[in-house]
Amino acid sequence: MPDHVSDSFWPRWQQTASTRVAIDPSAMLTGFLVFVGYYLGARIGFALTFQPHPVSVFWPPNSVLLAALLLAPPRIWWFLLLAAFPAHLIAELQSQVPPTMVVCWFISNCSEALIGAGLIRYLLQGPVHFDNLRSVAVFCLCGAFLGPLLSSFIDASFVKMNRWGQGSYPEIWRLRFFSNFLTALTLTPAIVTWCNFKPSQWRRIPSSRALEGSILFLGLVIASTVVLYNARTNPDPVLFYALLPFLLWAVFRFGSRATSAAILVVTFLAIWSSAHGHGPFTNESAEINARSIQMFLIAIAVPIMLLSAGIQERRKAEERFTAAFRGSPDPMSIVRQRDGTLIDVNDHWVKMFGYQRSEAIGRTLFDLKLCLLEGGHVQEMVGFRQSKPVRNVECAVRAKTGEVRQVSLSADIVEMGNELCFIVTIRDITDRKLAEEANRDLVHASRVALLGELTASIAHEINQPLGAILSNADAAELLLESESPPLDEVRKILADIRNDDVRASEIIRHIRFLTRKRAVQMESLDINEIAAEVVRLMEIEAHRRSVSLHTEFTAAPATIFGHRVRLQQALMNLILNGMEAMADAPEAKRRLFVRTVTNGKRRIEISVSDSGQGIPPEKLPRLFDSFFTTKEDGMGLGLAIARSIVDAHHGRISAENNSDGGATFRFDLPVRDSEASS
Amino acid sequence: MTAPDSEKPIVHVVDDDDSLRKALTRLLHAAGYEVRAHASAGDFALSDRDNRRGCVLLDMRMPGPSGLNLQEALAKEDEPLPVIFLTAHGDVPTSVRAMKAGAVDFLTKPIKREVLLNAVRAALARDMRLHTSHEQLRDIRGRFAKLTSRERQVLELVVAGRLNKQVAAELGISERTVKVHRAEAMKKMRATSLAELVHLADKMQSADL
Repeated sequence: MPDHVSDSFWPRWQQTASTRVAIDPSAMLTGFLVFVGYYLGARIGFALTFQPHPVSVFWPPNSVLLAALLLAPPRIWWFLLLAAFPAHLIAELQSQVPPTMVVCWFISNCSEALIGAGLIRYLLQGPVHFDNLRSVAVFCLCGAFLGPLLSSFIDASFVKMNRWGQGSYPEIWRLRFFSNFLTALTLTPAIVTWCNFKPSQWRRIPSSRALEGSILFLGLVIASTVVLYNARTNPDPVLFYALLPFLLWAVFRFGSRATSAAILVVTFLAIWSSAHGHGPFTNESAEINARSIQMFLIAIAVPIMLLSAGIQERRKAEERFTAAFRGSPDPMSIVRQRDGTLIDVNDHWVKMFGYQRSEAIGRTLFDLKLCLLEGGHVQEMVGFRQSKPVRNVECAVRAKTGEVRQVSLSADIVEMGNELCFIVTIRDITDRKLAEEANRDLVHASRVALLGELTASIAHEINQPLGAILSNADAAELLLESESPPLDEVRKILADIRNDDVRASEIIRHIRFLTRKRAVQMESLDINEIAAEVVRLMEIEAHRRSVSLHTEFTAAPATIFGHRVRLQQALMNLILNGMEAMADAPEAKRRLFVRTVTNGKRRIEISVSDSGQGIPPEKLPRLFDSFFTTKEDGMGLGLAIARSIVDAHHGRISAENNSDGGATFRFDLPVRDSEASS
Repeated sequence: MTAPDSEKPIVHVVDDDDSLRKALTRLLHAAGYEVRAHASAGDFALSDRDNRRGCVLLDMRMPGPSGLNLQEALAKEDEPLPVIFLTAHGDVPTSVRAMKAGAVDFLTKPIKREVLLNAVRAALARDMRLHTSHEQLRDIRGRFAKLTSRERQVLELVVAGRLNKQVAAELGISERTVKVHRAEAMKKMRATSLAELVHLADKMQSADL
């Protein structure tokens, strides 16, 4: 039966349960401690009953059992209950209670511990921690309240069945419920927290802390004695508040373990004093005194425990944040939104900007001149009601040395001490920017170089219409000089001049991209269209080099996503490379093929095949490296640029020798879905 | 310009670019030339030139046979028409080849009017000059062909500067007979003096070299 409980309530224990050796030496020890604890608890419970006719105010055995169940794995719960049974018998039989009643009480006591521990384990899915708000709330509700509440019905029923005791059913229920509620609330947390305390931790406590703890303990004992033992009946209610500073001291300075101990000290002294006829809770009947003292202690214990848990939870969250902030590999700062004052900075921030923490904290971003004008975004954030987090804004910042770095900035808005603050994370992207710029310059340089190589072709292309325009104009002039100028003819000439002018500007527009530095945006492109445009532009060059150009384009949709100009450049580089490879071949054999084919469903391949010498096999691996060239006058950039462009488009570029001579260069690009582009 | 139509020279424009070809044709036409336009070297080669004189404006770079190919083919003709090359962007090796092959000029597009018209004028003049001397030579050869073999022997020796007596001795005939042959040859060659005869013989000799 307990094994089933363990399966459903706390899976963590399943692995150890699989050994089927349920009771190991440590479980035996736990059982023994439960036996001792239960017995002592019962003795203390008897000792603290209110006279003349015994009224139990504080009943520790059940709480000892609950604490044991909370601490132990469910698979040995049965054993712990079994270990408590002899203690129960010994304790109860000393007080002339009929054996049936003794057994019945044991059953109701066990039911209380099982209900509490079971519900807590079920709800928390793990052990209970008294420094967590939810955990404490669940404990108060299930362990301290519901367990005693439900088991008291069973208990009262047993009492009535055995015709033991004189009280009515509600009276018995009420007495038992309140004493168990109070005990579970005050004793169980103390047992659980102190059992989790390892002896080795004592040694790590600094002496100042030990001293503070001792003063607190002493103060609490003295205050409790004064308030709860020495005070006369009907004291000034203000007197009760004398306990609060010590309890709050424990809460704020020490945590759940000291808090539960302090509550237990107050509880014990209050009950002990009353039981011995001292203190404020002695002027009524035993039942009323008991209820007053229970209410008083419950009313103190619940808020103090919740407060302690809340404070510790917050402290842990702060510690976690601080650890993340300090340990972050990126420079981080906390900046007040109102005026840009730096509230905190981390070590990497100090390293990046060169200001010490003490220099930076308390001064504004503007005092330190951290942001350059390009970082206008930061100025916009500060002082305005910006409520959205900022993500990856690129801007420039200046370190103490005056060095300017390019950074990517992200900021979240949090409220800290009633002030809106930014938690700013920056990432140094200077190197990446420089690399990007260098690459852009390189690509541009190679395009300009390409322009130089194509000068002859371009000049031919443009001079053709320019020549026609000039000759047409000359012809018109001559015609107008004659006696009866043929105006119709002149009109036709003017129309032709206009057409040729348009043609010339078209050509210029086509080649203009070669000199443009910044490429346009990525867009959806038809790769066949791009290839056709490049081939058109290269036709003259091909003719100049006596190369015949052939094209074979796929009929399948060939839409890709990319930079038009850059892809054209990549293809031009490959075509030019192919033409150069055929410079030594006989003219009739200089054939260049430009093909596009769909390669599987998702990719499209563009290939350029020449009929030249082919590539020496030992040079294949380094073909696409920068400054690697097999040509005497080559820079070795054309293929490297082509590769960098293809890479940027998530493509693959490769080269191989053809079986029938020459080489083929190919690259493939991912096809863009028609749905995605729409 | 007063020559009958069949004598008027033709300027041939060979360029694959429709628009430029049209413009050049218009300009040359407006300048008073008779112009024939051809879209390719092949078109020109297949056209009927009616044995008319003229010149060729030839684009260097065309699909199919290039300008240079056409120039080579033209040069093999009996009386080749002078060729003016047109190019959009002259590169040195090609122009050297063209000039070596006898091109009269090499013009870069766009071509200024005076440059074009001067080049055409010069080419036509050159063609005319060559044609005229060619005609003369043919005439002289025609006259020479009418001489008997004895008259030719006498003529050769006289032109070489021998006296009648010496000719007679060399050929083994009488001096009187030499005189008769010499007079007949002079008449057939339509030479009025010995100097003129020497001049005609010179022309034939230099053409045969």
